[in-house]
Amino acid sequence: MEIAVLLKPVPDPAQYDKIQIDPATGILVREGLKTVINPEDKHALEAALQLKEQYGGRVALIGMAPASAVETFREGLAMGAEEAFLCSDRAFAGADSLATSRVLAAAVKKAGPFDLVLSGSTSADGGTAHVPSQVGELLGFAHLTHVIQFEIGSDGLASVRTKMENGYRESRGRLPLVLGIRRELNTPRYISLMGIMAAQGKPVHVWSLDDLGLDKGKVGLAGSPTQPGKLYQPDMKRKGEVLQGEAWEVAQRLVGIFRSTGILG
Amino acid sequence: MAEKRLAIWVVVEQNQGKLASVSIEVLGQAARLVETASALSGGVAVVLLGDQVGDLAEELSAYGVDQVYWVDDPRLKHYQNDSYSGVLQRLVEREKPDILLFGATGAGEELAPTLAARLSTGLAAHCTGLDVNADGQLVMKVPAFGGRVLGEIFCPNTRPQMASIKPGTFTVPQRRAGRGEIVREDASSLLLDTDIRLTTVDVLQSEPLGLPLEKADVVIAGGYGMGSKKNWGLLEQLAAELQGAVGCTRPALDEGWTAGEHTMIGTSGKTVRPKVYLGCGISGAAHHAAGIKDSGVIINVNRDALAPAHAYSDYCVTADAKKVVEALLEEIRRTKNEKRGR
Amino acid sequence: MPELKFSEAQEMLRKVVREFVEKEVVPIAHRIDVENECPVDVFKKMGTLGFAGVFVPQEYGGAGMGLTERAIILEEISRHAAGFAMILMTHHLGVEAILSYGTEEQKRKYLPDLASGRKIGGLAVTEPSGGSDVGGQQTSAEFKDGRWVLNGRKCFITNSSNADVTVVTARTGEDAKGRPAFGAFILEAGTPGFAPGREENKFGLRGSGTGDLLLNDCEVGEEALLGAQGNGAKLALATIAKVGRTGMSAISVGILRGCLEEGVKFAKERILYGKPIAKLQAIQLEIAQNRVDYEAARLLTYQAIGLKESGANCDAEIAAAKYFSTEAAVRSAKRTIDLMGGYGVMNDYPVGRYLRDAMATIPSGGTSHVMQLVIAGQTLA
Ligand SMILES: Cc1cc2nc3c(=O)[nH]c(=O)nc-3n(C[C@H](O)[C@H](O)[C@H](O)COP(=O)(O)OP(=O)(O)OC[C@H]3O[C@@H](n4cnc5c(N)ncnc54)[C@H](O)[C@@H]3O)c2cc1C
Ligand SMILES: Cc1cc2nc3c(=O)[nH]c(=O)nc-3n(C[C@H](O)[C@H](O)[C@H](O)COP(=O)(O)OP(=O)(O)OC[C@H]3O[C@@H](n4cnc5c(N)ncnc54)[C@H](O)[C@@H]3O)c2cc1C
Ligand SMILES: Cc1cc2nc3c(=O)[nH]c(=O)nc-3n(C[C@H](O)[C@H](O)[C@H](O)COP(=O)(O)OP(=O)(O)OC[C@H]3O[C@@H](n4cnc5c(N)ncnc54)[C@H](O)[C@@H]3O)c2cc1C
Repeated sequence: MEIAVLLKPVPDPAQYDKIQIDPATGILVREGLKTVINPEDKHALEAALQLKEQYGGRVALIGMAPASAVETFREGLAMGAEEAFLCSDRAFAGADSLATSRVLAAAVKKAGPFDLVLSGSTSADGGTAHVPSQVGELLGFAHLTHVIQFEIGSDGLASVRTKMENGYRESRGRLPLVLGIRRELNTPRYISLMGIMAAQGKPVHVWSLDDLGLDKGKVGLAGSPTQPGKLYQPDMKRKGEVLQGEAWEVAQRLVGIFRSTGILG
Repeated sequence: MAEKRLAIWVVVEQNQGKLASVSIEVLGQAARLVETASALSGGVAVVLLGDQVGDLAEELSAYGVDQVYWVDDPRLKHYQNDSYSGVLQRLVEREKPDILLFGATGAGEELAPTLAARLSTGLAAHCTGLDVNADGQLVMKVPAFGGRVLGEIFCPNTRPQMASIKPGTFTVPQRRAGRGEIVREDASSLLLDTDIRLTTVDVLQSEPLGLPLEKADVVIAGGYGMGSKKNWGLLEQLAAELQGAVGCTRPALDEGWTAGEHTMIGTSGKTVRPKVYLGCGISGAAHHAAGIKDSGVIINVNRDALAPAHAYSDYCVTADAKKVVEALLEEIRRTKNEKRGR
Repeated sequence: MPELKFSEAQEMLRKVVREFVEKEVVPIAHRIDVENECPVDVFKKMGTLGFAGVFVPQEYGGAGMGLTERAIILEEISRHAAGFAMILMTHHLGVEAILSYGTEEQKRKYLPDLASGRKIGGLAVTEPSGGSDVGGQQTSAEFKDGRWVLNGRKCFITNSSNADVTVVTARTGEDAKGRPAFGAFILEAGTPGFAPGREENKFGLRGSGTGDLLLNDCEVGEEALLGAQGNGAKLALATIAKVGRTGMSAISVGILRGCLEEGVKFAKERILYGKPIAKLQAIQLEIAQNRVDYEAARLLTYQAIGLKESGANCDAEIAAAKYFSTEAAVRSAKRTIDLMGGYGVMNDYPVGRYLRDAMATIPSGGTSHVMQLVIAGQTLA
């Protein structure tokens, strides 16, 4: 089975409390933040590796990111993918989900053909959850997202369980498919030392706008139907009165507060 | 009367004959926009898809809706992306609304981006604020980085302007007097069998037991700092004493201490706005904080004086959460007994 | 002098190990200490990831990395559980002896299982009659009818009851000058006449079992002899220097990082006079000293290992790294406990364990006295 995994390098979600907006320029300050594989994309990659173990074939990583993200793709290769295709071009900067999906779909076509495209369901940074469906549309593949369980038979027939509010939905269909994977699906394997060694020799292809043959007006900020305005940092600051004393003293104060809000008679 | 332009469409969601609450919440925003935005002319329409859902069309028409597009067909019984997006695409291309709004549910998060891709238009995800500026453009406020950052999004050059809204972001509006017109559409011209590539074979949804978090006046939220399933029991006792509900962070959920995923609060969970929120052993990551910011009083107990959670609290307690919860239980029970004694 | 800089692959390794440790080891670190129990299942998991055979070439089933990568692994585990790291560190002693001195046949027979963690290794030299005094070993190996017969008792042997394969040194006779000559033997658990004896109750590095190994007419074939006859003591000492002392040094660096990080965390959390004690200058001085001890130990350790890997003769540098790092770990742990006031001595916090672990790193692989003798010997030569 030929599988593409969409892998997005994102700033480490554990450090989002450090993200600031420069008050002078209004630009996002994210210096010093580590870059990691988008957490859900690891689950997508795990699913792909399991299918490869079941059916043979290859797993390719595809992403759009600055060239400095090579290390993050190397991690995906260390986990077990065969090769990586990194779409990197100044022209891609500032892309919204649709402009991003155009680049990813073009790369999937060029690196393909693939039977299956797996992605995370939501990225940790932008987090629109649009990309799986939009890549599916642009490829002309059927697609499902928020996938929490799936099986693909050797006949190419897939049964897919997607998460819904307070439950799930079970769908059936044929490959090729795009599936947006949630973390509930599996537990990603640890990278092994042998994997790290092997990854050093695996190819990472870097593709530019020209390599993908895309129109400049369809990618990046210029090609994005949504345009960003101002950025804010939600001001959640409250008065922060410190309640001091022993536990029983604090408890008495809290009961007083509960009373005054009317939640306790 | 001249035919009223229907500027804003809300795509509503029904599951097995029940309207999703988020659809009504979104409708409330649509009604607010047409009433308050002077640069926006036109009314509100909803699109309802399903199988024998006429009574829902009636119900919807009472929320300040000018028109209900009702498409009824056995093939639309369950949501399925191919069939639903096929119908919606044809309707939108025919009627050309300015604005198209969705609930960001499991289904909505497939449908909205699918349509945006087909229509080559912009979609703003998980809006926490919607406004119309002087030029009549929709200003959509969206979160990123787990809620740490909010950004304005515009869709200047393409139509419709699309946006999705998460459940619980806005409150459910009051029903209103008057009712909109229900227009039953001809499903056969809107839905083609060739649209359908995937079939829905089963749907399972069941309301969880107990008081839903989003309806509770008191939310006792626990985090990884609670330390064990045993300590978690204290939170449940406290919630019971206060007739509230217990919420959790993702690490606490992952530890298996909680009643389940439906109790998780934050960007990938519930949004709550109780009168009192008490956080215990929660660091206060943006992902969690995004789900509680509209709460009445926010209290946090964390043994780390510098925990980010303290910064967004009305009251901070720097102490062991287990000890404070135990003391609270004792104090509440004591005062209740005193009252009874009197 | 170039900066200490790790390669991209080494940085990835550190990240991967840290993730593993945070998920698999941190939750059981306290329990390992309290129950003094070796979590064999986690060891096996580490084995499948290549930790157990990190420096073993891939042709023998290892990861094909080196001693620097091994030190990274030990440091990361020891940041939270030095006692657990000790099991791996000692396993590597057995692995290294076979890798460097084994015949092709011995390597093919033992390394794949050891490198994958399916089997646990060890190295037994110390005896009641002397650890520092290697020449004082009494355990004997007699060659009779084409077979070796071993008798004696080893003590303070890590993994004594867990190891499947242990390299054991024994006196085989005398050399031409009449000095005792030693051989090294590969002994498999379950060999008749070879069994673990009493298990010690240590106050530090708990989780790693330490105990006696008893040899009572233990009979093995010629193929059990590792390296040349008469080369046993040298082989053991070289292995202890190359893998044992560098390993203890890396373990100490991990403990030092633990002290630094726990100290910082506590200093920021503990409120006195209405503000965190991190604002007090006296506390800042303690943090600064913790930082310096950690940085210095880290530099000495990775520098010595780098030298060893480049093939240099660097016993003194290794001894210096081990001496400094283990002693610094003790100082730093005590300092961190002081910084924490009464909380420091409570078992709710891990720093007391760090102090006990740090103390136990000093004799392992050679005491501080002996390290200083090695350093002085080379310096004065
Ligand atoms: C403050 C802010 C608000 C934003 N709001 C919007 C908005 O409302 N609408 C909009 O269209 N865009 C928006 N964006 C832009 C959008 O987040 C980015 O354009 C991003 O490239 C698109 O996807 P995502 O990160 O949201 O992906 P999601 O759709 O959330 O990602 C799902 C999966 O798609 C795959 N994927 C996504 N991006 C890549 C990639 N670059 N390489 C490889 N795989 C990938 C991954 O597998 C990922 O797990 C916003 C950005 C910011 C910073
Ligand atoms: C894409 C993505 C989506 C996410 N979505 C969500 C979401 O929707 N909701 C969510 O909650 N998280 C979410 N997370 C996780 C989120 O980033 C944080 O990791 C999480 O909220 C932290 O949970 P916590 O506060 O329980 O744990 P920690 O961050 O580990 O904090 C525990 C806190 O407890 C304190 N503590 C420890 N012991 C005690 C004690 N005895 N007494 C008092 N205090 C103590 C500590 O000082 C610490 O501050 C998401 C993450 C990602 C990457
Ligand atoms: C946790 C732990 C794990 C161990 N694991 C193993 C193992 O797996 N395999 C193994 O073979 N051994 C192992 N050992 C044993 C260790 O190698 C010895 O403890 C060490 O070599 C010291 O030997 P000893 O205990 O016999 O002390 P002794 O040699 O009796 O030393 C007593 C004192 O004399 C000092 N001293 C000795 N010689 C000199 C000298 N020449 N000049 C000045 N001072 C001197 C020492 O520094 C010490 O202070 C382990 C020890 C510990 C604590």
